[in-house]
Amino acid sequence: MSELAYICFVAVAVLVFIGLYCLMTMKNLIKLLIGAEIVAKGVSLALITAGVEKNNIMLAQSLAITFIVVEVALVAVALAIVIGIYKRKKSLDIRNLNNLRG
Amino acid sequence: MNIYILVALILFSVMAVFLRDLLKSAICLAVASIFLAVMFFRMGATYAGVFEVSVVAGLITVLFITVIALTNDDAKVPENKWPIIIFPVALAIFIIFDIWFMNKFIILPSKALPLLAQGEKFGDVLWGQRTFDLLGQIGVIFAGVFGVFAFFRRKTDE
Repeated sequence: MSELAYICFVAVAVLVFIGLYCLMTMKNLIKLLIGAEIVAKGVSLALITAGVEKNNIMLAQSLAITFIVVEVALVAVALAIVIGIYKRKKSLDIRNLNNLRG
Repeated sequence: MNIYILVALILFSVMAVFLRDLLKSAICLAVASIFLAVMFFRMGATYAGVFEVSVVAGLITVLFITVIALTNDDAKVPENKWPIIIFPVALAIFIIFDIWFMNKFIILPSKALPLLAQGEKFGDVLWGQRTFDLLGQIGVIFAGVFGVFAFFRRKTDE
């Protein structure tokens, strides 16, 4: 593994850690989406780094672009859900979303 | 230079998580995307870099800012203090573990895949080697569009 790949994969792990930490500890719905975005950044960086390392950057780029498209669709739908929740509950706190708890 | 860009990327990601103002968080996320795009350019992934800047740093930031504007100040959520206090320690422990773990792999030689012919273009790979999963990608785009439509559908008289 090259030095570039080494530091990139370390950064990937740190980004995924930050995103998961955000997802586990934050209570604001928009902050949770920001956490998911940070995890997605880590995954994009991992794809491109693997492409550079395996000397196949074109395929890695096409996969990264697909991943970015999926990410945009996810964020668009999730933000629409957030607005729907806000209209109903007048709050972005996930602790108010426990109506289905049995 | 690469390491400084990655440190800036991580720093802005941390700021996006822990800043109290959501608008500043969204802007920090956009700046982190720009640093990621710069990293892509430096690694030779120009197309992915362009997508990262235009779509993630541009479009997604606009979506975030629109939603933050639509949900006004009444929606401020009180966060616990302890995640912010614990985070530096947890991050430091994780980085030490991460570097120690990744050191095992640095000695491994990388094997290049003999997949691409010399001089093959990005378009050849995107449209030639990947055919049916692009249909899936188009399906994902439509799923996103119809998902948003479904959530903002107006009530009819029926």
